Amino acid sequence: MIHQFTYALKSLFRNKMLIFWTFAFPIIMAFFFNIAFSNIVEDEKLDVFPIAIVQNQEWNNDEIFQKSIETLGKENSEDRLFSLHYTANEQEAKKLLEDEEITGYLIVEKEEPKIVVKKSGIEETVFQNVIQEIEKQKNIVVDLITQKIEEQMKQGITTIDQEKIINEELQSVQEKGTYTAQKNENNHLDYTMIEYYTLIAMACLYGAILGMTAINNLLANMSTKGMRVSVAPVKRMKMIISSSLVALVAQLIGLVLLFAFTLLIIKVDYGEKIFPIILLAFVGALAGLSLGVFVGTVLKRKEDTKMGILIAVTMLGCFFSGMMGITMKYIIDTAVPIVNKINPASMITDGFYALYYYSGLERYWVNVISLIIFSIVLIALSTIALRRQKYDSI
Amino acid sequence: MSKVIEVKDLTKKYKELTAVDHLSFNLEEGEILGLLGPNGSGKSTTINCILSLLTMNEGEIKIFGKEMKPNAYDIKKDIGVIFQEVAVFEELTVYENIDYFCGLYINNKQERKEKVEKAIEFVGLSEFKKFYPKQLSGGLLRRLNIACGIAHEPKLIFLDEPTVAVDPQSRNNILEGIKALRDKGATILYTTHYMEEAEILCDRIIIMDKGKIIAQGTKNELKELAGIEEKVTLEVENLPQEKQEKLKKIPNIEEIKYEGNQLMISFQKGENNFTHLLEWLKQEKISYDGIYSEKPSLNDVFLQLTGKELRD
Repeated sequence: MIHQFTYALKSLFRNKMLIFWTFAFPIIMAFFFNIAFSNIVEDEKLDVFPIAIVQNQEWNNDEIFQKSIETLGKENSEDRLFSLHYTANEQEAKKLLEDEEITGYLIVEKEEPKIVVKKSGIEETVFQNVIQEIEKQKNIVVDLITQKIEEQMKQGITTIDQEKIINEELQSVQEKGTYTAQKNENNHLDYTMIEYYTLIAMACLYGAILGMTAINNLLANMSTKGMRVSVAPVKRMKMIISSSLVALVAQLIGLVLLFAFTLLIIKVDYGEKIFPIILLAFVGALAGLSLGVFVGTVLKRKEDTKMGILIAVTMLGCFFSGMMGITMKYIIDTAVPIVNKINPASMITDGFYALYYYSGLERYWVNVISLIIFSIVLIALSTIALRRQKYDSI
Repeated sequence: MSKVIEVKDLTKKYKELTAVDHLSFNLEEGEILGLLGPNGSGKSTTINCILSLLTMNEGEIKIFGKEMKPNAYDIKKDIGVIFQEVAVFEELTVYENIDYFCGLYINNKQERKEKVEKAIEFVGLSEFKKFYPKQLSGGLLRRLNIACGIAHEPKLIFLDEPTVAVDPQSRNNILEGIKALRDKGATILYTTHYMEEAEILCDRIIIMDKGKIIAQGTKNELKELAGIEEKVTLEVENLPQEKQEKLKKIPNIEEIKYEGNQLMISFQKGENNFTHLLEWLKQEKISYDGIYSEKPSLNDVFLQLTGKELRD
């Protein structure tokens, strides 16, 4: 096994094409991102932006929502994100939007908050995300408040200060950072980070090329080298495991180089959660490898064709998860959410996003687990095909 | 001699197409058996079925007296395969490629090193050990391909058209090498569509067409099947039709063809055929520039049996 491992590693590191796509290309992209974003970051510091709230009956009844939004709109607050305009009805809000005086407006209808924006952009995306997060956490806050009131009633307290409880629980949830977007060191939301996350996702998924090449060299129905290996007295699973291991090791080396370059040379700030970052990169690499093994096993095409397919799939996945601009992620998330639910690039990107912008790990774990499920499904499907030792045609 | 390969009723179909049709043959220890046939006659499919790479629809295959299966590692350890297409790693040197494939058979590092060195010397690549495949000529690349398949010194070697697209000099080297392998004790199954190679190399030949065996035997046995003794070709200018008709009356003439200035005469078995022809030419005062005689080839056998050229 060591013999195969050594030669597979040697062969891989001498393959210029593989080295370019898996090691050099992400670093080159990072370099260009850095040049391109150094100006954008300055230009696009996310300042407070105006939104309107339609003050209908439902809004007035939704105290938790009100408090949350008001916190983010409080003047002189460090966490201020919105400049709030209140309108008596939707028509007024619409008028403000048409006149481009606001980024968008919020209206609560049938107990559901609805946001209306005129175009796609960073501010619109932030608006959308924040409202979604508040909505998600509202139920938690309601539960906590109910719990607290019940406790006080049990203790025989008859004069319950509901507003105080609401404020306390809201503050507690906000301190946990469950929905308020945290501001980074530069005191603004740096959305170029998304581009770097998609770059890591791309590097992880380019590992698919390594996995595909490793498998292609082992299967008789895929290559003549595979035929030669198949007639040798070696157990196929042993060969597959050692080759996949080589691909994974190479991929992790590539990721270490990319992290080293982005951290040390172009000074990208990934935050301080080192272990979750490593875990996410590892799981992402595993997902990339599984994708490569799957394509290598199932798709009966020339190696170059498969490589082209993997590069195209990876680039498309990264595009959908925001590599060429966060707006695309927003569009896909809202128009066809299923795409990014099964898109490994989006899972990796969103995992890093969750780590960087949220202090809680719930969203991060959802992505990690999704990537693990994605990998398990592809490996299971590949194993079914790999169990075949004879072929109908070669 | 014991049977190294036993193939009984091997049938392989690709949907409607029967690539190999109830094929049965044996390969005896120490012999070179040639599978000769045009492209698409089922030679490679037969080898791939024997090697358990392809599923088969019917049949039974035994190697070294045991049933061949994908996990028959005790059989596989004594087999070497050289495929038609060169199967080496572009990123590994000549030495590394041979060492890698040899390592799939031999774990002991020292033993492997010796065998790799021997294989390199055997195929004449000693000067190219550190070369990468892309730095080698087509002939040298073929030699590397062979070295990768035989470095572990297998008892049974499959060679699937190893000389395709190889220059004449390299081809001769390869053929000499294959003979040397047999002389060292290996048993060889060799597929080719070059009849000359089969004639030079093989102890026994199986001629295949459309997945079936159409003839088998030694080259002399096969040539008997052609029904002709020899072919004589002359360069004659303007041979009138009446002379051609007269020529046909010479004893044992099977067929004559006159194309351009070339007069080709096929003789059946018989005595003094060539002398009779020369006498007739003198008697008819027919002048000719050149005359040469040749024995029937395997192509004539193929032509006789199928009505088409082997090269078609």
